[in-house]
Amino acid sequence: MPFYAGIDVGSLSSDAVIIDQEGRMLGSAITETGAHSTQAAEKALDLALAQAGLSRGDLAFSVATGYGRVSVPMAQKTITEISCHGLGAHAIFPNTRTVIDIGGQDSKAISLDERGKVVDFVMNDKCAAGTGRFLEVMAGKLGLTLDDLGRLSLAAAGEVSISSVCTVFAESEVVSLVARNHPREQIVRGLHRAIVNRVAAMVGGLGVKEAVTMSGGVAKNAGVVALMAERLGINIQVPPEPQIVGALGAALLARRQAG
Amino acid sequence: MTAQPLAIPSRSHYLTAQKERGRKVLGVFPAQYPREILWAHDIAPMEIWDPPLEPGSAPAHLQPYICAVVRQGLELVLRGGAARLDGLLVPHTCDSLQNLASLLNDYLELPVPVLFFYHPKEPFRDSARAYYRRQLTILDQKLAARFGPRREGALEQAVAWGQRVAELAGRTYDLRARGQLSAPALEFYRVLRAGEFLHPEDHIPLLEEFLAVHQGPAPAGPVVLLSGVLPNPKELLSLLDQQGARVGHDDFLGLSRRLLFPASQAADPFDALCEQYFALPPCSTRGSALSQRLDWLKGLAQASGARGVIFYVVKFCEPELFDVPPLMAGLKEQGLATMSLEVELNQGVSGQIATRVEAFLEMLS
Ligand SMILES: Nc1ncnc2c1ncn2[C@@H]1O[C@H](COP(=O)(O)OP(=O)(O)OP(=O)(O)O)[C@@H](O)[C@H]1O
Ligand SMILES: [Mg+2]
Repeated sequence: MPFYAGIDVGSLSSDAVIIDQEGRMLGSAITETGAHSTQAAEKALDLALAQAGLSRGDLAFSVATGYGRVSVPMAQKTITEISCHGLGAHAIFPNTRTVIDIGGQDSKAISLDERGKVVDFVMNDKCAAGTGRFLEVMAGKLGLTLDDLGRLSLAAAGEVSISSVCTVFAESEVVSLVARNHPREQIVRGLHRAIVNRVAAMVGGLGVKEAVTMSGGVAKNAGVVALMAERLGINIQVPPEPQIVGALGAALLARRQAG
Repeated sequence: MTAQPLAIPSRSHYLTAQKERGRKVLGVFPAQYPREILWAHDIAPMEIWDPPLEPGSAPAHLQPYICAVVRQGLELVLRGGAARLDGLLVPHTCDSLQNLASLLNDYLELPVPVLFFYHPKEPFRDSARAYYRRQLTILDQKLAARFGPRREGALEQAVAWGQRVAELAGRTYDLRARGQLSAPALEFYRVLRAGEFLHPEDHIPLLEEFLAVHQGPAPAGPVVLLSGVLPNPKELLSLLDQQGARVGHDDFLGLSRRLLFPASQAADPFDALCEQYFALPPCSTRGSALSQRLDWLKGLAQASGARGVIFYVVKFCEPELFDVPPLMAGLKEQGLATMSLEVELNQGVSGQIATRVEAFLEMLS
């Protein structure tokens, strides 16, 4: 029985998914990309294989995606994370017509047809404004972990407004808010709002078609998801593990390539 | 299958060679000017679009929102680039270039003359035709006053060269649109853009050789149309080549928008130049109506089988930026995929831009 791997080497996390011929997920892994893309890809792949009880020799085809996709020698083909997140989200929620993927350095909005094929997309360029990296830097400034962020944001009684999504400017804004004793949860909510406004503007340019699915690590942040749903005025679906959606899409494309 | 790149001299060597053979060399800023009149005066135009220079003192003279074409061009002049030239010519393409013209002429005290060329913008009435014809004769007279009268028959010869270049360029575009040109996009634009500094006596044989070497089937991947000012950064072209995509056609200001015109049959060379100017494809810098540009792009897509259009927008090219959003909307309505890339000249392609381009091609295939 042939097996397929998808490996998503993102700017922050490297993720892998193993599927079988029926598209069932047998194993998955999330690791840090760190400074060595190839090593991170190998580690993610081997962890996912171990979970599936398989070894590299069992793989019929592998697809690499993510910004580090060219540094994955084990993969036979590279496909962009845009196609992969689209297909992955569609596999989990077949009603998906819009995917919002917020990762560490990029945020993307993707329109899909009923088969999960990309029909249009938008993506931020260059800087990390409005991405997961931005939240990480701010969490660091506030002495919080990523897991704290969503919880605090949801619990906040009010909100301070953050005027910039530029990481550099927002950082100094946060420092001065902290210095003036603003409640941390209100600052966190303000930061989430800033990201959501930025990404929502991008999604708006594309046109929101329901159902909307969020993928990427930031979808684990319930504070961002709640504000995004509020801002777009729609319900948002979040997969059980949003961070491996790209790797799942890559694995499904690997199966398609081989077939 | 992959033919060797054709030999093209460097600009710098070519400039020296032109001077050695007794030609004058004028540095010319973008975009539209009657090359034939310069050729007729035995002047070789050396166009200044995107010199690969690190930013130096030019930004001090310009507002930060001025485009890189103007910034890089000024940088070249400030670094003494004009010293090897016999003069500069600035066509009235847009406000930023017009501004540059006065900067060069009024403030910088250059060792060489700065000439201007004015051409009419749409709507084209009879008065526009009369105006353009007068501007051609004024330029002709100015060059004669500076560099001496032109030879008998030289203008007729120059017009014939211009028509031959247009015919060859038209053939290469045509073959490419039909998928019968095997040349990678990178080589295509290197050879066509060589006309920015090669005299037609050298560019014509180069184009002929290019046609001879590269007739053959194009890659079978997705077909895209390119629009914008010029194909820079060229890494984008390599990326399209690597991905097996075919550029079906282009709508670049520096290329098809001034290269592709039907040859005029007029006997008088000024009449011919006039007729050819008004027959050029629609262009933002000539004030063409959006509807005209949209129809033109749709036509190019149809002729080449392109299903997607990529706009290369040089930050912050004002005439282009006004047109791009409505053009994209109009093309989308026709079922064409569109994407605009904001680029800096000569700064390569970021990972994000590469991902967007690859994803765009995946979407088309
Ligand atoms: N447990 C968590 N709770 C909240 N947020 C999280 C959690 N884990 C990760 N994140 C967020 O996810 C981001 C990383 O997302 P992801 O792994 O999808 O990025 P990536 O794919 O490496 O980046 P890119 O796609 O931009 O190259 C982090 O910056 C962080 O903000
Ligand atoms: Mg990612």
